[in-house]
Amino acid sequence: MSVAAPALAAVPAVPVAPLRPLLWTCAAFSGGVLLHADRVPPWAAGIALILIAWRLLTAYRGGGDPGITARAFLALALVGIVLARFHTLNGLAAGTTLLLLMAGLKLLETRGPRDQFVMVAASLFLLLAACLDRQELLRAPLYGLQAWLSCAALAMIAAPSTSARAAISLAGRSLLLAVPLALLLFVFFPRLPGAFWAIPRNDLALSGLSDTMTPGSIGQLATSYDPAFRVHFLGPLPPSQERYWRGPVLHEFDGQTWRRNAFEVRAPVARQPLGIAYRYREQLEPSRQRWWFALDTPVAAPDTRARLTYDDQVVGTEPLNDPLSFEAVSYTQTRGTQPLEAVAQRQDTELPPSGNPRTRALAESLRASAGTDLAMVQAALDYLRQGGFVYSLEPERLGADAVDDFLFRTRVGFCGHYASAFVVLMRAAGIPARVVTGYLGGEWIPYGGYLLVRQAEAHAWAEVWLEGRGWARVDPTAVVAPERLQRGILDLMPQELSVRGRLLHASPWLAQWLQRWDAANAWWTNYVVRFDYETQLNVLARLGIRSPDARYLGWAFMLALCGWLALIAWHLGRSRRPRRRDPLGRAYARLCRKLARIVPRAPHQGPLDFAAALGARRPEVHAAVLPLLTRYAELRYGPPAPQTRAQDIRAFRQAVQRWSLPRAVRRR
Amino acid sequence: MPAATAFERPRCHPLAALGAAFAARTQAWMRHRQGFDQLPARLEQRRLYILPTRGGLAFTALLFLMLLAGLNYANSLALFLTFLLTGFALVVMQQCHRNLLGIEVVAAVAPAVFARSTGMLQLTLGNNGATARPRIEAALHSSALTTADLPAGMQQRLELSVPAPARGVVRIERVRLSTAWPFGLFRVWTWVHTPITLLVYPHPHGVLPMPADSARPAGLRTHVGVGADEWFGLRPFRDGDSPRQVDWKAYAREAPLLVKEYVQGASELRMFEYALLAPLDQESRLSQLARWVVDAEAHGERYGLVLPGLRLAPDRGPEHRHRSLAALAVFGLEGDLR
Repeated sequence: MSVAAPALAAVPAVPVAPLRPLLWTCAAFSGGVLLHADRVPPWAAGIALILIAWRLLTAYRGGGDPGITARAFLALALVGIVLARFHTLNGLAAGTTLLLLMAGLKLLETRGPRDQFVMVAASLFLLLAACLDRQELLRAPLYGLQAWLSCAALAMIAAPSTSARAAISLAGRSLLLAVPLALLLFVFFPRLPGAFWAIPRNDLALSGLSDTMTPGSIGQLATSYDPAFRVHFLGPLPPSQERYWRGPVLHEFDGQTWRRNAFEVRAPVARQPLGIAYRYREQLEPSRQRWWFALDTPVAAPDTRARLTYDDQVVGTEPLNDPLSFEAVSYTQTRGTQPLEAVAQRQDTELPPSGNPRTRALAESLRASAGTDLAMVQAALDYLRQGGFVYSLEPERLGADAVDDFLFRTRVGFCGHYASAFVVLMRAAGIPARVVTGYLGGEWIPYGGYLLVRQAEAHAWAEVWLEGRGWARVDPTAVVAPERLQRGILDLMPQELSVRGRLLHASPWLAQWLQRWDAANAWWTNYVVRFDYETQLNVLARLGIRSPDARYLGWAFMLALCGWLALIAWHLGRSRRPRRRDPLGRAYARLCRKLARIVPRAPHQGPLDFAAALGARRPEVHAAVLPLLTRYAELRYGPPAPQTRAQDIRAFRQAVQRWSLPRAVRRR
Repeated sequence: MPAATAFERPRCHPLAALGAAFAARTQAWMRHRQGFDQLPARLEQRRLYILPTRGGLAFTALLFLMLLAGLNYANSLALFLTFLLTGFALVVMQQCHRNLLGIEVVAAVAPAVFARSTGMLQLTLGNNGATARPRIEAALHSSALTTADLPAGMQQRLELSVPAPARGVVRIERVRLSTAWPFGLFRVWTWVHTPITLLVYPHPHGVLPMPADSARPAGLRTHVGVGADEWFGLRPFRDGDSPRQVDWKAYAREAPLLVKEYVQGASELRMFEYALLAPLDQESRLSQLARWVVDAEAHGERYGLVLPGLRLAPDRGPEHRHRSLAALAVFGLEGDLR
């Protein structure tokens, strides 16, 4: 009977995978890894790339792959690390990281086409994860390339003898042929109004406004060109000094940092709108936060997905993970018709019990000389205007009594410093005041007809409560740097910009292209990324389908599908003749066609055999055609004469052209 | 021994037996639907069948997952990717179908072989189209595939091995042509129903000496030896002649190919009789007779064959050899053969 195999039995012969499919599999997987390289933790991307390199090395130089125990151990360890890092395996970032690592491990044991197929499927899934993660226009070509590469890898796996060029062109052609159907499905495939299975995915914060403000601690304000949101006005545009976009309103101050008071639920103060009602549609870029930046004072919550707080902020129910758009109506001027509630009165005049003594003293002296609250506001603004204050994006850091330090020592700061100092002055004088953060301004993009607000246009201003007027907006920065209201911050501070910003500023041509690029982005976001149920209905309506009936649409879709399939079939079936057959062969074929009326050439006959057959059956033609057939045999099989070849072939062709069957033969 | 067929399946699991029965029904249906093919036959649309491969099914599952993810997140890019890959799969289906459509089955022959060796079905496929047809697979049963690339406008010969365990006639009733090119997501296939018979000669085996010349009196026999062959003359080359017999010197003088004929032992005649091998059983007798035929032919002797109900007059040459071995191959099987 069988004897137990020795412990160190020879490794069973594993069929060595052909290198080319493996190489392409690795390429497709690397593409998937690179799409996530800046999103997953660096060590995860590193490990995945190392595993790819390892697999390639073992493939090229031979050598064993790690045994099943080692692989199992490695897999467990990696799952453990991911768990330790993310505290979950659920969620896009954790899931992507895990997929990356596990697919990398799987790569180590890929041998046959089946394993390679699995790897390509994993690459496609990584591509899907990338699509879910980010949808910028700039990345769309990358996604396309990755799909192309993966399909080419599939072709290579299915037929390892394919040349790289053939695989690439085959995959590219197939994908191109698929585009019409993809567009059709994209427009007509029914969308769901909401998610049916939520996965947390807010594990990575993006740039944007935070809900606290600490003016003293910021050494430099980042000037980012990234768009924050875009606004299409459905009517008149507010003048540039009125374009205040309200974000977090900050009430609580501890001497250093301003904070929201997030859990207050109150009714807004009753007020009466003044001036024009601005209707607009706003497109928010994903910020992973909840702020919807409405124009100054929105009338109501624009949507069921957001609520309006008592201090006029629009706060979404969910963080903004995807682009979102809403429609709202706002006023830039209002008049309060109610006195301020006692709670608000107390809250918005509150200061820390101690600190900033010189500021308090200043407020008291200003208060003493000013009669009314309005006069006090004016006096404080005058103080800022005449005190030699300078607007700068790179102020000094401030000490413990930050406001004192700013007002009496450095006198250099940006909007946050001025708003903070002004509100402290107001509160010290007993006037309710609050800091409002958000954005100011916006660049008019003529190509899309909208206002683009960039991250760099983040701003902070103040609101004070004036008896009989309600909350009034006061922008102390405007006093120090009045240009800030008229022109964008980027125009204002060319020396503060990054190199890229300065370059753009210096070249209007470049700036114009940047605007075009933004318009393209806006279009992309609006019509592609945000193509949802509503957009779908809009598009259908524009196509003349007012009330989409599912059955009718289904039939229309089936018809379109059949049309597309027929087109593809026609395209593939079209015989693509080789464009350049050899002229010598063509001339010979022509001669044979001429002779076919009397003696057709059998497929196996060469020119001389054919001549012999002719001679046997039709000697009178034989004599006439023999020189031509002999000449063909010479040209085709004789010793090469490169110099005269083209000429010889031309002569032969002309001779064939001139030659015709003798009349007597033709008549018979 | 009954005639072996190439489709004998080992008996195993009842489910497998059920599957086999189902496959047999399907095959009968397909044959009934298509009828027998006259070669050369072009592969037309109505006889091509296509289904996703296992990879194709996995791809479909992947697409379904992608669709779910895209719908769940209402993510347009993910949905577009899903739809693009769906379209891609449908394009691939058509390409795969195209790859087999219009191929011409030019010829299918199976030269006779001896038992206990492997026969070869030579299948000639033609591609009259303007595009190449890569990765065309041919098989008698799904396990052993032979793959070939058919360049545009060319013919290609594929060889399929047919096991020939015992003498008789192996009937190959159908050949399966398939392809999964270009992406391995679909496989299109067709059955070519063409009656090909592979004649399997008996295994030449036996140690008995060849019977002595039975046609003339012993006294007249001349001395037999290797050196005793007599020059007989020259005749034109015929297919099957041994290169050793060719008069190469004459050929070098630009004469046509001629074969030198010798008459060995002054035209020795041997009759191989089935009845004389009485002590052996039938198969051993046939093997012994085959052995003698092969040997006699190799030595250039003239030989005849006497079987119950059949008598082949003494002769020699490849045709005679084939006739003799074929008679041995089908001996006693005529009833089975039709």
